[in-house]
Amino acid sequence: MADSPQEIQKQVKKILLIGAILIFFTVVTVALSYVELPSHSLNIIVGMILATIKAALVALVFMHLNHEAKLVYKILAFTVAFVLALFLLFYFSVSDPLVFKDF
Amino acid sequence: MDIPYTVTARPDTGLYNAKVGIWLFLASEVMLFGGLFSSYIFLRVGADYPWPVHELNVTLGFVNTLVLIGSSVTVLLAWANLKLRNIGKYKMYMVITVLCAGAFMVNKSFEYKAKFQHYSVTLTDGTILTGHLPHGYEIEFGDVTTLNLTVAGKHSAVDADPVDYVVPYIKGEAPKFKTESGEEIVLDKASFKKLRAEAHDKAVAKAKADGLKETPNWNVKLTAASPITFVLPPSKLLAKPTPGATAIAFRDGTTVEGKMINDKMTLEVDGIDLRATPDKEKSLAFDEHYLGEPWKKAFIDQREHAIAEFNEKYGDGKGGTTRDPLKSATHQKHMFFVPIHSATPEVHDHAKAEGEHKAEAHAPAEHAEGGHGGHHPEVHLERQHVHFFSNFTPKLNSYYAIYFVLTGLHGLHVVAGAMVLGYFVFFNGRMLREDPERLANRVEVGGLFWHFVDLVWIFLFPLLYLL
Repeated sequence: MADSPQEIQKQVKKILLIGAILIFFTVVTVALSYVELPSHSLNIIVGMILATIKAALVALVFMHLNHEAKLVYKILAFTVAFVLALFLLFYFSVSDPLVFKDF
Repeated sequence: MDIPYTVTARPDTGLYNAKVGIWLFLASEVMLFGGLFSSYIFLRVGADYPWPVHELNVTLGFVNTLVLIGSSVTVLLAWANLKLRNIGKYKMYMVITVLCAGAFMVNKSFEYKAKFQHYSVTLTDGTILTGHLPHGYEIEFGDVTTLNLTVAGKHSAVDADPVDYVVPYIKGEAPKFKTESGEEIVLDKASFKKLRAEAHDKAVAKAKADGLKETPNWNVKLTAASPITFVLPPSKLLAKPTPGATAIAFRDGTTVEGKMINDKMTLEVDGIDLRATPDKEKSLAFDEHYLGEPWKKAFIDQREHAIAEFNEKYGDGKGGTTRDPLKSATHQKHMFFVPIHSATPEVHDHAKAEGEHKAEAHAPAEHAEGGHGGHHPEVHLERQHVHFFSNFTPKLNSYYAIYFVLTGLHGLHVVAGAMVLGYFVFFNGRMLREDPERLANRVEVGGLFWHFVDLVWIFLFPLLYLL
């Protein structure tokens, strides 16, 4: 934990900078959504990459995940694994590995 | 008793206790929203309609994003100033954060209200008209002279209650009614109570005379002094009336006979969606009783313009295109979705071509705020042509279902976060004086929750508004 006044002053500058970067990325996301990329899936992928970068900045800097006690990472490791599993579930809606392959 | 490790870290975990708690809580929150995002993916993959893109108010969503990012910054500044013991600044930044939460919710309420008041009507040929119902959807049923009430013999869900279920929908002033015994009454709570008691007595007497075990229902006829016309939404009836119906039944079981005067749906049209219409030029929307030839011409012009634009953008120089027009959702929308901003089609093609891009970006939803000016053509749709209608709520499609679930749950988180942070700044004055370091930790933990709310919005905004 950064507790000395100098450290905190430094953090304040960092917070403002990250805030500005987040706003910048938001503007980029909105602008890019009006650009027709070769396929709409690509629009979605680019949009999600930008959102992930923003989310990572919030998590790492605002939520101090760049320097946190080990226990927090242990808790989050489980969460991340389960959430990824949830997101990959959609695979079953496009293909059903349990039944016929070429039906 | 003192709670341990509220200020200093516990040696084995390396954290003060509240922080362990908030991270465990946030982990479960991630799973909660993760499950909903997962269902979003399923619904989108399985949608059998064009998934709405840019259909919500992007400006409002964008402003809300800025508000949330801003408040994430201010909650951190509040924490830093509390650490530095700049109490005035700490309080100021906390209050700003809470105000941001309020601003977010106010914006959200504008957005929701617009959706509740905006309607989508699917015609029988698949054409979708969007717009506003200036007086909701109401039918007019007239030439009624007699009310047939049914007083239930035993306790029943449907029991005569004309004062609440029939009289309110009489057009103009309610006339006097004549009872079967020839008495003239004004139908109100008191007179109906008397009427009902009499009917019940008669039913009981009849049951006694006939040796019935149960009291039968009793019919009461009321004759109106002058013919009545009813104006009411069909939802206030027991069953939806068929076109040309000669009798309707109210929700309390009262039936009346008469004539259907008007069961048309008046819609102020702000968009024609022809994407699901097989024969687009013969769409019901262009029927002469509805939007007619001028709008058909406007549609054809717009389609030609869209095709020309697409060919110019993706033409390969050999008469073909480098991109499959059928697979470009944007192109399909430009071709088959006609936004309507004026009572009659604009004549100047130049102005139209320029205005179009702008219109496309907002159409059709944003005009929900536009109110009910004379900027839209009005059509009177016949019931037999209406296949389905709904406002832009979960009833319409799975996109609006997941939109309301996700943004509603997120909105509740904003409210909860504002309450927690508001509590710290307004009700924790004693802790601020006596143990500011502990309060700083509280603010940090509350802030972590607030950043999480921001983080969820970072994904919600592009997924629901932009992509």
